[in-house]
Amino acid sequence: MPYENYARWKTEAITEEPKLSIVIPAYNERERIVATIGAIASHVSDLGFPWELLIADDGSKDDTVALCDDLHLVNMRVLRAPKNGGKGSAVQRGMLAARGTYVLFADADNSTPIEEVSKLLNKLEKESFDVAVGSRAAEGAEEGKKSMLRKILSGGLRWIVRHIFFIPVKDTQCGFKMYTREAAQKLHTKQTIMGFSFDLEILYLASKFGYKIAEVPVSWIDAPGSKVDTRKEVQRFLRDLMTVKMNDLKGVYR
Amino acid sequence: MDIIKSSRDNLPVLQLKGRFDAHEVEPVNAWLAEHTGKGEARIIVNLEGMNFIDSTALSTLVRGLKNCRERNGDLHICSLQQPVRVIFELTRLDKAFDIFPTEEEAAKGF
Ligand SMILES: Nc1nc2c(ncn2[C@@H]2O[C@H](COP(=O)(O)OP(=O)(O)OP(=O)(O)O)[C@@H](O)[C@H]2O)c(=O)[nH]1
Ligand SMILES: [Mg+2]
Repeated sequence: MPYENYARWKTEAITEEPKLSIVIPAYNERERIVATIGAIASHVSDLGFPWELLIADDGSKDDTVALCDDLHLVNMRVLRAPKNGGKGSAVQRGMLAARGTYVLFADADNSTPIEEVSKLLNKLEKESFDVAVGSRAAEGAEEGKKSMLRKILSGGLRWIVRHIFFIPVKDTQCGFKMYTREAAQKLHTKQTIMGFSFDLEILYLASKFGYKIAEVPVSWIDAPGSKVDTRKEVQRFLRDLMTVKMNDLKGVYR
Repeated sequence: MDIIKSSRDNLPVLQLKGRFDAHEVEPVNAWLAEHTGKGEARIIVNLEGMNFIDSTALSTLVRGLKNCRERNGDLHICSLQQPVRVIFELTRLDKAFDIFPTEEEAAKGF
């Protein structure tokens, strides 16, 4: 693992088209984001291709943006948002600004370790999938530390998603998803949901538009410091499912 | 995360492997308290085999460092893997700690 690869990525701006763009949505992440950037930069720089990192700030009230700017990583861009618009809005901003052939978004807590990136990349690059979603549910995934409540809730939601909405993915919410740039542009341009359920809409659209979707088992750690209120989010999730269906019936996605 | 307690040249050594985050700080805190509470505190934390460390975990080590130095001792870190080395650099903690390539050098460095 030559440190020189990271050192070069840190100081020399890439000139060619990046093969991979990584987007990290970030809302008040001053505690968690620097370590995650470090882990990502170290690992991906060693993979031997040009890549860029995008921090999609979501109107953070803390000093997330200043902290990131202070790192002076030439191939990292910080996208600012004037106000908080929800995780979906941050991911959208990052996805639409990404220049890579492939685009990954990954949560700021490194809860799916970045070492899993090659599994997704291989699906797109070698097996010509358009979308590869990390999954904490697919066979072979290691669930790590996941609370009981989480397990029960996700089981129920999974059933609804599959049998009523025909979304061919067991785990829609994993914060580790990769798309071809073409798919990312098309899907995120049509996106209407800006909260935590945006994943659901994107996957619904991906299957509606006929993209090839791979669900890839990844390891997952229920990282400390999550800012999600589970009960509220489940209610919103169900509401957003209905919104997606209504949108489709009204022709919003045409 | 795996925690292995040992010693080298009569110095207590804590070896941590895997992912060190807020879920894992408690046993490390306990070990640090045990070895920084008395006399001249000189200890080694070996991070060979650690691939991720978060900010809470880093604070735990910084507190350990402070406690050692207050007792005219030190906390030496050794065997950083690349991701953890980069995290130390980006958080500028590479300036705060004395970091050694091997456990042997960390022990000799006192
Ligand atoms: N909570 C929250 N996160 C946001 C928002 N906008 C962007 N994010 C980012 O979305 C990602 C997910 O946030 P987490 O708080 O870890 O939520 P989660 O991963 O769904 O929940 P856990 O599984 O409990 O960790 C992080 O990278 C956040 O910084 C927002 O408005 N609220
Ligand atoms: Mg998370």
